[in-house]
Amino acid sequence: MAARASSKRPARPAGPAPAAPRPAKPLALVYLLGWLIPGGGHLWLGRTKGLVFMVMLPLMFVIGLALEGRLFPFTPGEPLVALASIANIGAGLPFLIARTLGYGAGRAVAVTYEYGNAFLITAGLLNALVVIDAHDIALGRK
Amino acid sequence: MSTASHLLLMALFAGCVAVVGGVLLKDTPREQARGAAEIFGSLVGAAFVLGWIIYFLPI
Repeated sequence: MAARASSKRPARPAGPAPAAPRPAKPLALVYLLGWLIPGGGHLWLGRTKGLVFMVMLPLMFVIGLALEGRLFPFTPGEPLVALASIANIGAGLPFLIARTLGYGAGRAVAVTYEYGNAFLITAGLLNALVVIDAHDIALGRK
Repeated sequence: MSTASHLLLMALFAGCVAVVGGVLLKDTPREQARGAAEIFGSLVGAAFVLGWIIYFLPI
């Protein structure tokens, strides 16, 4: 009888929806750290997988520079160049260092120019994915 | 870098993306290694398939 009565009960008591999970660390700092230092957000949240990102993403960036790829300037008049520029910025500190030191001029006639661009752009985009993953971890979703 | 092989560079790119992708998407080291291998194989395999398709196109 009791079992029948309990089976009629709703699975969850009626009432206000459960509150959104509170982040363990300030999200803005997780984003900033994760963007500046690839994998830094993960490490701050106690996930050692951040070490892999910390090695691989700057490595991809350096390979891209070595292959004579270009760090694109932000030119809103040329949408594809602007998108490539945003992707470059996604690499974080390696991008800022390279830009400050004058690297990434690119040599369009080099055989490896497009490969270099692929490495540089992909490093930035993958870092964006890593930051999004850190966001999920900070919210306790992973 | 002018002597770099296209195939080697493609494999290097696929390897880097595979390692990051595998670690990002999975949690245990075993799953991460398997995920990375799958991503690497998919990228290189797709490049070979597309390469052969393009080879037969009159362009």
